[in-house]
Amino acid sequence: MANTYDLIIIGGGPAGLSAAIYGGRARLKTLVINKGTIGGLVNTTREIVNYPGYTQVSGPDLMKDFHKHAQSFGVEFLKEEVVSVDLSQEEKTIKTKKGKEFSAKAVIIACGSEPRLLNIPGEKRLRGSGVAYCATCDAEFFEGEDVVVVGSGDQAIEEGMYITKFARKVTVIVLHDEGILDCNKVSAERAFNNPKIEFVWNATIEEVLGEENVEGVKLKNLKTGSSSELTCQGVFFFVGMVPSTKYLIDCGIEIDKRGYIPVNDLMETNLEGVYAVGDNRIKYLRQVVSAAGDGATAAVAAERYIEELNVFNSNVLQSEKKVLLLFENAQINESLEFGTLLEEVNSESAENYKIVKVDMATKKNLAQKYDIKTAPAVIVLEKGKEIKRLTCVLDKDKLKSQLC
Amino acid sequence: MSLQQLNSNSFEEIIYDDCESCLVIFSRKDCHVCKEVVPMLDELKPQYEGKFGFFYVDVEEDKNLFQRFSLKGVPQILFFANGEYQGKLAGKVEEEAVEEKIAEVLNA
Repeated sequence: MANTYDLIIIGGGPAGLSAAIYGGRARLKTLVINKGTIGGLVNTTREIVNYPGYTQVSGPDLMKDFHKHAQSFGVEFLKEEVVSVDLSQEEKTIKTKKGKEFSAKAVIIACGSEPRLLNIPGEKRLRGSGVAYCATCDAEFFEGEDVVVVGSGDQAIEEGMYITKFARKVTVIVLHDEGILDCNKVSAERAFNNPKIEFVWNATIEEVLGEENVEGVKLKNLKTGSSSELTCQGVFFFVGMVPSTKYLIDCGIEIDKRGYIPVNDLMETNLEGVYAVGDNRIKYLRQVVSAAGDGATAAVAAERYIEELNVFNSNVLQSEKKVLLLFENAQINESLEFGTLLEEVNSESAENYKIVKVDMATKKNLAQKYDIKTAPAVIVLEKGKEIKRLTCVLDKDKLKSQLC
Repeated sequence: MSLQQLNSNSFEEIIYDDCESCLVIFSRKDCHVCKEVVPMLDELKPQYEGKFGFFYVDVEEDKNLFQRFSLKGVPQILFFANGEYQGKLAGKVEEEAVEEKIAEVLNA
């Protein structure tokens, strides 16, 4: 099948591209499926000053370098949207919106996040008519006008300052008490010193007002509960992000209430061979540098997982000798004793079989594949096909008779 | 990109003189949302060949056009038929929404 890969990465932001670089370099046949522009959300950042090795670089320029780097290792790219996945089997399948189907041995989920909507009246209706989410794209349309910015994180304050290049006045709506912003200290200081920026503290936005275009906003003071109106021609929302993981609901992958995917140190999800990296996983820091680290970790973990898979295929499924696939549990004494006995019986009968031990604690999907629930258990395989299951008794003669 | 770019003059000719049924996306080069919406229109275009026109305006190059429609952001897709404005779709729109709107304009 032409659409078969070792590794498929869903998402082409810094996490996905870093995974692609490591995957490509490890000579895995790697495909990145990305629905928008390569680089993802980083493309919305005009200036990055904390990515090591780059004193100052624009988001799109940095992502072009990541992209080129991945391409240099032979990684393939496809611009498509993934709409459904089946990741619970050994062979993972992915379907795109245009009906294409792909399969891979391992999948890395790196689909990032998207701006959160407040879902207040007027927000959706006036989108593009004064309601905006991207200063680079839209600030210029508010030349000489009054603009409201909702939020006080890095993005809100930095974008707010950019908007002052065009707008007459920028009013920032902040949830917190006077003087407290969620953004970094350098930006906060700059914003406080910017004569075009004003703040409304302890406030939240209740409604965007206007018929055809934005004419104002309705604010609520959180301390007094009173409402007020503020005239403006534009509202920019920067109220955080939500992970873009909706298409993964009901595919068996664990997702928390907010939509983030929990992983361990190796970026492994609850499904074997499936990893989650970057902004769509539960994590402490969401920056380009940490996304890149995630991508590298997951790609290396995936490479090792694929290697194990390949070894199993050549050692077990393509073995010349018949194989005794022994499922063990190190915590059960009977299981270990049985293992010893099986070895003994096999050596006494001229090593007719090759014994391959499977630790049930770490090889959960193999146990699942053969529907093994308790250890010990033995499956006899001939040329990869199951020919029988042994009754696991600690009785040498009974065991021997089953192997003749 | 297969969409034909319009300037003020060609806009006038196609929309108002020829009265073509069409859509015009207002976009700019450094807008990431536009970079998702424009290729989607690109792919949609062949299905409507001869029935419905697909055009493109760069708001940086033709400022007066977006001022004329008092647009407040990109991307925005404006729909026209018989020389009249038929409404718009703003922001990150899905293919289905565009198809629905085209059907609405064509059946009006």
